[in-house]
Amino acid sequence: MTEILSVHGAKKSYGAVKALRGADLVVEEGEVHALCGDNGAGKSTLIKLVSGVENPDGGEIAVRGEKVRLSNPHAALAAGIATIHQDLGLAPGMMIYQNIFMGSELQKHLLGIPVLDRSAMIAKSQEFLVSLNSVMRDMKARVENLSGGQRQAVAICRALRWKAEIIIMDEPTAALGVRETEEVIKLIRRLKENGVTVILISHSMHDVTAVADRVTILRNGRTQISRSTAGLTPEKLSELIVEGGTDEDDPD
Amino acid sequence: MRGFVAKYGTALAGLAVLVFFLFFARNFASSANILNILKHATFLTILATGFTFALLTSELDLSFANLASLAAVVTGGLIAGGTAWPLAALAGLGIASAGGLANGILVTAIKVPSLITTLGTAAIANGIAFMITGGVAFVGRWDPLFLSLARGKFFGVPVLIFFMLGVVFIAWFVTKQTKLGVHMLATGEAQEAAHRAGIATSRMKLIGLTLSGVTAGIAAVLLVANLSSAAPQMAGDYLLNGIAAVLLGMTMFEPGRPNVAGTFVGALIISVLGNGLVLFGAPYYLQDIMLGVIVIASVSVSASVLKKAAFSV
Ligand SMILES: Nc1ncnc2c1ncn2[C@@H]1O[C@H](COP(=O)(O)OP(=O)(O)OP(=O)(O)O)[C@@H](O)[C@H]1O
Ligand SMILES: [Mg+2]
Repeated sequence: MTEILSVHGAKKSYGAVKALRGADLVVEEGEVHALCGDNGAGKSTLIKLVSGVENPDGGEIAVRGEKVRLSNPHAALAAGIATIHQDLGLAPGMMIYQNIFMGSELQKHLLGIPVLDRSAMIAKSQEFLVSLNSVMRDMKARVENLSGGQRQAVAICRALRWKAEIIIMDEPTAALGVRETEEVIKLIRRLKENGVTVILISHSMHDVTAVADRVTILRNGRTQISRSTAGLTPEKLSELIVEGGTDEDDPD
Repeated sequence: MRGFVAKYGTALAGLAVLVFFLFFARNFASSANILNILKHATFLTILATGFTFALLTSELDLSFANLASLAAVVTGGLIAGGTAWPLAALAGLGIASAGGLANGILVTAIKVPSLITTLGTAAIANGIAFMITGGVAFVGRWDPLFLSLARGKFFGVPVLIFFMLGVVFIAWFVTKQTKLGVHMLATGEAQEAAHRAGIATSRMKLIGLTLSGVTAGIAAVLLVANLSSAAPQMAGDYLLNGIAAVLLGMTMFEPGRPNVAGTFVGALIISVLGNGLVLFGAPYYLQDIMLGVIVIASVSVSASVLKKAAFSV
């Protein structure tokens, strides 16, 4: 397996608050990698650095072994990293296809003038959704009228649109019911089948053990453990998070 | 059915008002009066279209009327001083556009809320306009070619109508058919989401506010050509009229969202209402009351959407 993303010694402070004090994260190509830790451990902050939303105070980020500077969301997208944030990711008042193609709309030429190519965007949106086994008929429906699971699917389609190789999902199931959570788990499995690397932030031990190949646990802005999920039960995982077990537990 | 009423209700009500005046307001249907209405609607539409662009990115522009007045006295003053009118018109267009650009820079780079920024630039523009004129109007016998911009006819149709339709068409095209248009919309609808999708949201706001200045400049030149004079407060009345047109427009076609078609119909309705009320013998102050009611009623109709936008400063 090859390393697709690595973060070493990431530091980030918000005023007096040290959100990250030297965190590491190593993700291998094609895996589902869970990022866990208690509230305020620094998970979202770490993801913000990787998605170009915030700039690190220190540390290094490398994609496929090459050092990168992800100074804005655009740079991260260009590096193949797309992030699905917990909120604020979609424009609820806009249509499904507009959300999927937001920021990278398809165009055609009309008398030499570039104009939006709606029918192409609608057709492509359908294709992306089909590739996720997600059923939505009207691509012109507003996102605010979709279920939580469907919104995640739309957000994933946007990431696919960017040809993202790494998709980061920040607590995708936090606000979802049982059935919708299962839907999102299926979406993640589907992404993995399609060769996409997924980083999953989650407080749900069940989700992590159900879908992740490896897990990294943060505590107080530092990486505590990084290990395979093989043989890990939800109970054991929450113990590791709460008690901050040591790497000795790591079977590999 | 409810969708139909939400989309077209206001336009149909406007049509009913028009028919009512056609039948019951004396002289309303005379060709001179219709021309008057269309002239007013032209200036109003052009100015309100700029406001629509700004509001689409969720920013307010309260300076467009005073920027137009300033552009008018710059244009009129230069012509009165002997400058060739095309240059004078360009200067007017330039000063209003620069004002819009200044609004955009203050809002996006220095992060002064647009409500405050444009209130400030409105006052500044007003002050400069009075400074330039010394408080009196520029009047003169100006080049007929210049005046024909507003008074001329083309195949029997007033040239102004072409300006109005031209601005509406271009604005509709930009907002509905181009990448720039959806990026501006996304910026206004969900700024953070748009930013994270790689859209340059600050630039979109800058463009929206600048375009509001550009249309103020266009309207100003036409206003000067129409009156063959220029005075410091000549576009002042268009502020509330323009805002009302845009807000009324937000109750049409795409409920809750600033849209060019809605702004256009809104401007027509307000021009018809204002004119008809006067012909109907209604006292002048009733117009102000009407505009106030339109502004508040429109916003309350589309309140759910506006809550997150510019009006919830
Ligand atoms: N913009 C900010 N300004 C100030 N402090 C912040 C900011 N963002 C995060 N923090 C602080 O940094 C620390 C880490 O926050 P972060 O959001 O990364 O945690 P998290 O692991 O994602 O937690 P949660 O599970 O609650 O989402 C917290 O103490 C938080 O209060
Ligand atoms: Mg978080």
